[in-house]
Amino acid sequence: MSVADEHSTEVSVGGRPARTARAALAGIERPVAVRAGLVAVLFLVVLIGLPGLVSTFWLQIATNVAIYSIVTLSLAVLVGRVGMVSLGQIALLAVGGWVALRLGFGTGLPFPLLLLATGLITGAIGVLIGLPALRLSGLYLALITLMAAAAITVVLQVTNFPNGGSGLLGYSGARAGTVSSALHRPDLLASTSAFFRTVVIVAALMFALAAVHVRSRAGRAWAAIRQSQPSAIAAGVNVTLYKMWAFALASFMTGVAGGLLATSTGGLSTYAFPAQDSITVLAVVLMGGVYSFWGPVVAAVLLKLLPEILKNWGLPPDLLTILFGLGVLQVMLTAPAGLAVQVPKDLANLARLVRRRVAPG
Amino acid sequence: MIEVSALTVRFGGVTPLDGMTVTFPAGTCGLIGPNGAGKTTFFNVLSGFVAPAAGAVRAFGEDLLAMAHYRRARWGLRRTFQTEQAIEALSVFDNVALVHEHSAARGRSTRRRDVLGALEFVGLEVPPREPVATLGGKERRLVEVARAVVGAPRVVLLDEPAAGLPDEETQHLARVIKRIPEELGALVILVDHDMSLVSACCEVTAVLDFGKLIASGPTADVLRNEHVIRAYLGTEERL
Amino acid sequence: MPDLRPFLVLGLALGGVFALSGVGIVVLYRATGVLNLAYGAVGALGALIAWSLINDLLLPDWVAYLVAVLFGGVVTLLYGMLFGAPLAQRDPLIKAVGTLGFTLILLGTMSWAWSYQAHSLILPTTELGFDVGEVRVNGTQILGLGLGLAVTGVAAAFLRYTKLGVAMRSLANHREITATLGVPVRRVEAAAWFGSGLLSGATGLLLSTLVGLDIVGLTFLVIASLSAALIGRLESLVVTMAAGLAIGVVQAFLTPFDTVGPYRTMTPFLFAIVALLWFGFGQPRLSRA
Repeated sequence: MSVADEHSTEVSVGGRPARTARAALAGIERPVAVRAGLVAVLFLVVLIGLPGLVSTFWLQIATNVAIYSIVTLSLAVLVGRVGMVSLGQIALLAVGGWVALRLGFGTGLPFPLLLLATGLITGAIGVLIGLPALRLSGLYLALITLMAAAAITVVLQVTNFPNGGSGLLGYSGARAGTVSSALHRPDLLASTSAFFRTVVIVAALMFALAAVHVRSRAGRAWAAIRQSQPSAIAAGVNVTLYKMWAFALASFMTGVAGGLLATSTGGLSTYAFPAQDSITVLAVVLMGGVYSFWGPVVAAVLLKLLPEILKNWGLPPDLLTILFGLGVLQVMLTAPAGLAVQVPKDLANLARLVRRRVAPG
Repeated sequence: MIEVSALTVRFGGVTPLDGMTVTFPAGTCGLIGPNGAGKTTFFNVLSGFVAPAAGAVRAFGEDLLAMAHYRRARWGLRRTFQTEQAIEALSVFDNVALVHEHSAARGRSTRRRDVLGALEFVGLEVPPREPVATLGGKERRLVEVARAVVGAPRVVLLDEPAAGLPDEETQHLARVIKRIPEELGALVILVDHDMSLVSACCEVTAVLDFGKLIASGPTADVLRNEHVIRAYLGTEERL
Repeated sequence: MPDLRPFLVLGLALGGVFALSGVGIVVLYRATGVLNLAYGAVGALGALIAWSLINDLLLPDWVAYLVAVLFGGVVTLLYGMLFGAPLAQRDPLIKAVGTLGFTLILLGTMSWAWSYQAHSLILPTTELGFDVGEVRVNGTQILGLGLGLAVTGVAAAFLRYTKLGVAMRSLANHREITATLGVPVRRVEAAAWFGSGLLSGATGLLLSTLVGLDIVGLTFLVIASLSAALIGRLESLVVTMAAGLAIGVVQAFLTPFDTVGPYRTMTPFLFAIVALLWFGFGQPRLSRA
């Protein structure tokens, strides 16, 4: 899983022959392979079997869960791997949806390209928002994402989501009642099952993308940054660059999710992105666990499936909001040092000085 | 060699370093002084975390302060911290490989060999794939030192590497530190309170007190210097 | 150029309330290192409780308002006692995220008990009023501005001249050292939590009247107060007050202009973003020793 995967050379480690080291490396592989196999099987079961097992309504819910699992994944990467808390992912999701709709109504791009373009544009926007903020510390970064998200929400409420109207914003009030702000699905994906499978595959691709990153040079740099920024700098890591990379990746993934959301039944409206979701999504991500790859899936289930189940049983979904709030507090109380950038006390001053010292570029 | 001239650091009404002028010639050099003397501040200037108000630092003829901080590792600057910073989330191998991939002038092809070599150099007898989170304090300290010697270091800053270590481990550490200039050709600046470690490793030592240099020269002489002794015992008299 | 004078009145009133809550946020942050993001939600819940007491239990208005303000103090104090101490040594980010959890608990409670339908709570001061030149100024607006100014002054004086206030300021810098000096740390912090909670309750009542009793709207208006507090660098009460007033006035002034009018609610966020970027490069007082 690291650079230590090439054929071992004749080096002795602390006196022991290299063979022992290699044997030790190989021994770890087996349980990982088994786990990966199980995940693959489960994935295939869900992909192929689920549409046949549940009703259309629940399949749409499941599609929603899969879409939001991309969003929770992006937040988990930011918080768990790099130690950056962003309160703006839902706003970015809305931006992604807007971009996808604008491109959809304005260009003739085929669906996969459209998703890709949406992701890239949203990624660029995320970097633009994050870039000036990247040198801020944990709390201030969180606050600036909150502010940016709130500002974006206001703008979207005024501009609405494109519905095929003309002009830069692509919105026509006259069409608002008749044409929904929904992205037209290619015929191949028109059915609920087909769309569900597409979403699951795209989500899996996003998870794979995140996994590749984590095991790569970027992932190691992120781990260093999360542990201690000064130590990372002393190791030669260009902290600003790698933070930007993480932001770009998270924004890209969220943008793609936004594009998928725009394509789902009913399209988009500002009601799809309540302000509360920005906090709730962070809550479920924390509860699901920021460090594993299952965490985001659990988080998406908490966020989009559980409320529906509760409603189905006649219980108020508001209870879940309270539960999530308690969940956040529980995680905060028991969180190990690595939840956010936890600079040890004797280096706290150092972090401040780093910010002051950082020269542009 | 490292030439420090008139280095001054000021912030918040305090002057942690006050006109420090000293030359670290070669080999292993000690830097000692009572708590708060400015030793870690000096390291922070070298690392690029603190901008000096005045003064200059030339390392092997190059202006160190002109380099962006994260680029200094590529130049050959390495450093350990008072609280060891081995990355818990990564394995031993990856911890050292990280430094190599971000700072070594040598490329991927030598990485595995360099990393395993560094682990052997510090005498760390732990499987390289072991996650650091499972290691104890002594082994983590060795991982940190391994990070400091991997690649082709030119200057190695060790900030209290022996803190909290029992005697036997300190002796092992002393042996490792002495080999750094001998086998890797790097200049080592060692900050520590353990005088036996400093005596064992450092040919020359500089002493800071309240940000000012109060003595420098052969270690044995410096440790006998009455001003130095008084600084540590904290009597009223100051230079 | 439209007549901006009525908007000046609106802006000063709203800005005064931003200043009022901004002061509450700053005082609490200075004493405990906690940036209380649940501030708005507490006020909203207080206002809803007052609404129910008036409309369902038919209690006299002044009782309901008193309960709302006290409730703000009590529930904030409760949070502080339960979660303030265990998190006290943690990074400010973790403490702030904790208050996000608090916000969710409050939001869930409010939407469950009162649902999202519109309620209306108008303070009786709104009926009083007088004319300044050609512009009508109502009592609530005066109250908003006046309370904002008064509380800023009182809080600033309190922090500087009273024993409790000085204790709070020293807590901001060195919690352990302050404790060793014999200052009853827990009690001082409790006072800070309770005091800022009272302000939160008052803010909720004023904003309900000035802007409307809307759960989500009130909860997230905390961001406007937060902006004012950030411009004050989470330190200076006077700057926080001035910033609150400025934000309120600018936002109000934008209303009659068609091109930017609809975007005027962005004003606090833009102010905050500029402030964060501007001051973020300096030395914000981030960590408590």
